Amino acid sequence: MVTFLNIVIAGLLLGGLYALIAMGLSLQYGVARVLNVSHGEFIMLGGLITWTLYTAFGVNPLLSLAICGPLTFLLGFIIHRTVFKRLLTSSESRGVFESNSMLASFSLLFIIQNIASIAWGPEIRGYSYLRVPVNLAGAVFGANRLMTLGFAVVIGVAFYLFIARTRTGKAIRAAAQDPAAAGLMGVNIDRVLALCFGLGAALAGTAGMLISLCYPVHVAMGLEYTVIALIVVVLGGLGSIPGSFIGGFALGIIGSVVTNIDPSLSLIAYYLIFVLLLLVKPTGIMGR
Amino acid sequence: MLEIRDLCTFYGKVQALWNVSLQINEAEIVALVGSNGAGKTTLLNTISGLLRPASGHVFFLGQQIDGLPPHAVVELGISHVPEGGRVFPEMTVRENLEMGAYPYQAWQHRGETLEQVYQMFPRLKEREKQLARTLSGGERQMLAIGRCLMSRPKLCLFDEPSYGLAPLLVAEIFRIIQGLRDQGITVFLIEQNVRRALEIADRAYVLENGRICMEGPCAELLESDHVRKAYLGL
Repeated sequence: MVTFLNIVIAGLLLGGLYALIAMGLSLQYGVARVLNVSHGEFIMLGGLITWTLYTAFGVNPLLSLAICGPLTFLLGFIIHRTVFKRLLTSSESRGVFESNSMLASFSLLFIIQNIASIAWGPEIRGYSYLRVPVNLAGAVFGANRLMTLGFAVVIGVAFYLFIARTRTGKAIRAAAQDPAAAGLMGVNIDRVLALCFGLGAALAGTAGMLISLCYPVHVAMGLEYTVIALIVVVLGGLGSIPGSFIGGFALGIIGSVVTNIDPSLSLIAYYLIFVLLLLVKPTGIMGR
Repeated sequence: MLEIRDLCTFYGKVQALWNVSLQINEAEIVALVGSNGAGKTTLLNTISGLLRPASGHVFFLGQQIDGLPPHAVVELGISHVPEGGRVFPEMTVRENLEMGAYPYQAWQHRGETLEQVYQMFPRLKEREKQLARTLSGGERQMLAIGRCLMSRPKLCLFDEPSYGLAPLLVAEIFRIIQGLRDQGITVFLIEQNVRRALEIADRAYVLENGRICMEGPCAELLESDHVRKAYLGL
């Protein structure tokens, strides 16, 4: 019983991170219609910036949230305003835009990754912060990992409330459901789409900062997280923020269970779930 | 109030509007009738900024508005109810109405406007918390009209508000539209239901193949041989 509880807790710790990165991708894909293959690169940037700030300047990793978040937001916002907005006006249909923007995000992946490898080099970077053991339900977890979960839940819930309750949040949902009608309501569509892309990037950057608390970070870490985010987004239902949140935790727990059997199987299990999901319920948990 | 001069608009590579000129005065209901594919929706979409004209101009209260994006046009006081209503299916009735009040000025007064809209459509208040996709066709159209009023418009553009509705509902929708004029809201109405439209409007334009071919007070058009033959089946 105790071991089962341990597995669940470990799954929740992992799931919090998955939920954050999936919510980010969900905004970019579900609202801005960009299947952003470079999503993981923003995670990598968040992680490496946090590492640099901590090891070179002694900035508390939790404080670097205030730097990583706005920085990745700005980067995402500007990229949407320049690259994707132009693609949107030049594509004659939504379908054309979706494929063009995915190709563009592939090139973003390479550009960001190469610039990062000039800046940081290929080494695997890690630091030790708050690695204090905490006894929880008969098992020992690092305080840093528990902290990660706390942050993920707070950010996730805050984000959900923002989308559900605020004027801008409603505009985002309206734009996801019917962009033209949202425009007729007075929503500045270009601005909302750039905002969503920026927020998605900021969630990725924040997740990167949290990941660096627990795991080593390096320039090529991004793609694996992009794939996980994509699986969670499909699992939770495309464009559904609560779906991504729940889906993230679901996948985290599944990952934790499989890792307990054999760590090398977890990615295989994710892909298996992905394929099964597409065959059985392609609309996801919260999808119709 | 609204003046359109020599408007030409392309839909893709096809020219859909040819030198369209028309005028709408304050507190009148003006109808634009014509058959399917005549260019009626294209004209509305050009006014509300969803399409850009190739040439010609649109003036609203003396200000040139052609080329403005849709969100800027709403802020000036023109609200467009698109064909089929286009309510947001995954939002509740109340959220849909709140979206209507999105322009900053309207947002400040949204509580007050919401009360007025609920008074006009008690049905919407009953279904306040329901998702819009669970509404019937008539309720959706009412929601779309209510949502348009939430922006406190000076001019409402209606695209086929009666389309797909049962006759009894059509009569109700038209009565509501007539009521808007009494509140001082100007209405520009696009309809395929020519008889109904001409019965409630003050003046009308007839659009054929992207060109205005007739215009005048509705009573006159109802008497005209061309309208009677082509649109009323008499």
